Amino acid sequence: MHTLYYLAAGPFAIAAFVLLAGGSLFRLVRMGLLARKKDPAVFDYMSARYGFRSLFHWLVPFGSRGMRLHPALTIASFLFHVCAIVAPVFLYAHVLLIDESWNIAWVHIPDGAADAMSLVVIAACVFFLVRRMKSPEVSYLSTWRDYAVLALVAAPFVTGLWSFHQFPGFRYAGIIHMLSGELLLASIPFTRLSHMIFFPITRAYMGSEFGAVRNARDW
Amino acid sequence: MKMKPKSILAFLALVLALLLAAGAVMSQEDVKSVNDPAFTSPTRPAPIFFHDAHNAKAGLDDCSVCHHVYEGGKKAEGASSEGQACSECHMKGKSTRPLIKAYHGMCRGCHEERKAGPVQCGECHSKRGPEALEGRGK
Repeated sequence: MHTLYYLAAGPFAIAAFVLLAGGSLFRLVRMGLLARKKDPAVFDYMSARYGFRSLFHWLVPFGSRGMRLHPALTIASFLFHVCAIVAPVFLYAHVLLIDESWNIAWVHIPDGAADAMSLVVIAACVFFLVRRMKSPEVSYLSTWRDYAVLALVAAPFVTGLWSFHQFPGFRYAGIIHMLSGELLLASIPFTRLSHMIFFPITRAYMGSEFGAVRNARDW
Repeated sequence: MKMKPKSILAFLALVLALLLAAGAVMSQEDVKSVNDPAFTSPTRPAPIFFHDAHNAKAGLDDCSVCHHVYEGGKKAEGASSEGQACSECHMKGKSTRPLIKAYHGMCRGCHEERKAGPVQCGECHSKRGPEALEGRGK
């Protein structure tokens, strides 16, 4: 147990952060090189005005037509994204651990809020899972990787709640919490979770293409 | 002068009470948790800590391992700080953050080093309280 904890708290945590940062940089550079080779016009047509206009519409709830057509998905999706980022980054226990390790600290939210947010994330994951299985147009496009990513995202939140509330076996839940969180961070650049890094770019690309070239909206 | 049996009894009771009081002061047997009053609004349950059982198990005879004294950034050999509140040195203003860091560093740091003892949040900050765990893991 101590060896596992030591690995999860030390080398694995460092590896996860290195893979996240290095992997993201690698994917960005490779995408840039690919675009230069296959679609060099992108660099000329990329427009800050239309790029940010599109980003804005897609970052505001119900700001795009697709969102208005699917209100339940829109609400679940926005709640999910806000909670999945805010809860782990501003959790008091996480802020403390980082402060103790690296002497860097930032604001934190009350434990009760993080608790509720974790429940929201898990509920949203269940919603996404049911949608993926029941909605024909989504299930047709789904592979095992999409389900795996969903499980990967839910795992740290389930085990985090387990550990926090000290349910039976919470010592194991704590270890799994650390390991699954690290696996999640490390897999961001190499799975569909890479939309975290590519979303601003693909959105700006579409916005520029539709705004500057076709004189149309893309939301 | 002959002492009355009543006064002998009273005298004996007084001696016994003094002995018990001294025993309680000398021994930390009654310490079951780290309940530092510096934390006026704690967010987690006080860490469970059976002082004497812990030190027997960890083989700690030297009080200054935990109750240390630092002078000029260096640990003062031979000096110890029992009876002094940790918060006297480890608080900066009203923030308890340095105190938390000191406790975590002292307890978890040593446990990590020795690969023994609790290291996860809920293992020390147990919601069940010391009574539920008394006699276990000693």
